[in-house]
This record gives sequence, structure tokens and C-alpha cells, in this order.
Amino acid sequence: MKNDMGLIVKTTARATIPLIGIFGAYVVSHGHLTPGGGFQGGATIAGAGILFLIAFGLGEMKRRYNHHLYSALEGLGGLVFLGAAMLGLGVAFFYNTLWHNGPVFNGQPGTLLSAGYLPIMNLAVGLKVFAGLVSAMVAIAAFRRWDE
Amino acid sequence: MIAPEFFYAALIVMIGAFLALLRVFFGPSVPDRVVGVDTLNTLIVAGMVLLGAAYDRTIYIDIAIVYALLSYVGTLAIAKYLQGGLE
Repeated sequence: MKNDMGLIVKTTARATIPLIGIFGAYVVSHGHLTPGGGFQGGATIAGAGILFLIAFGLGEMKRRYNHHLYSALEGLGGLVFLGAAMLGLGVAFFYNTLWHNGPVFNGQPGTLLSAGYLPIMNLAVGLKVFAGLVSAMVAIAAFRRWDE
Repeated sequence: MIAPEFFYAALIVMIGAFLALLRVFFGPSVPDRVVGVDTLNTLIVAGMVLLGAAYDRTIYIDIAIVYALLSYVGTLAIAKYLQGGLE
């Protein structure tokens, strides 16, 4: 059985995967301004990964997918979230010190570089959700019990 | 500022979505139901855009775009499963 889908699906996936990825990155990075945020944007980018897996097949996905890299990225996302939460540990845990007296991310509310540590946490959660969901989907797709 | 004509258009789209839902419920075969769900996805995207215009919120369009992109992936996954699955 053929491992990938037809020519039309593959060509459409080549056009659509960057679109979904860029839109997911937009949702993640504007998480403090528009609907969405870390989880929603990360799940959207993971949708691009799942589209790659469906359109190009498991063999191509295994060639591009590095288990150690994605595992490390997921851990990095959690650690960045925890590090951002510990930035204002002098006052309290989860104290938004970047917003109150930080060097960056303290712009006018409503602009992109505002809201203190929220964009950093959104990026961390988005990275973690993307890496975790893609890893889970590849693991499920690689699970073969009925073939042998 | 709520424009009523967008609500009427959304109501018409909802009637169409109900008809597509009937195909999902009573479809005799699996591809019938898949086509019904695909039609339902497109109609829901249209309804989201119309309701975003009706409530005069620009940011609601983002959700419609995400839904349009991900419903395509979902339909593709079902099609791949019906075609024979991975491997």
C-alpha cells in the first residue's frame, strides 16, 4: 500500500503547512491580545505537523522527526514557563516583575510588547504543546501491532 | 452596533447546516457521512464569519480561519483512514 497520499494532496500540503504554521505562530505570539494563546496556537501548529504526517506518510515523517530534539524542546518549554514564573520571586511566585519594573515587555497595553511575562509564557506553552502533540501523533502512528 | 441582516444570513446558513446534519445522521454509508461533515465544516466557517460581522468583532475571524484550516486536516485524516490508513 502506498504510504503517502496523491499528488494533489501533497502539493496542497506544501502550500498549506506554512500557512497553518504561520497562523499558529500568530495565535501564540498575540495570545495576550486576541483569542487563543499558547495551547490553541500550539495545537494549531501541531495540526500542521499532523497534516505533514498524513500527506507525506510515516516514512517521510520518521526521516524528518528527531525524537531527542522534540523531547528536549518539550522540556525546554516547561522550563521557560517555570523560569518566567520565577522572575519575580523576590516578591512572590508568578509576580509579573517584567510588567512592573522590567526592561522589556512593558509597552502600552494593547501593543505586542506588553503584558510582562505573558508573551514569554505563551511562547513556552506553545512550544511545549506543539512538541508534545507531534511526538504523541508520531508515536501513535509508529505503533504497529497488527502488521506482524 | 449589531447589524440584523448578518443574523438573518447566519440563520439561513444554520438551516443549511441542519440539512447537512441530517445527511450525517441518516447517511447510509460512511463516505456520505464524511461528505456531510465536510459540508457542515464549511457552513460553520461561513456562520462564524457572519456572526463575527454581526457582533462587529474583527477578532472572531481568527477563529474561523483556524477552524477552516484544521477541519481540512480532519477531513483528510478520515479520507486517509478510509483509503487504507498509514502503512
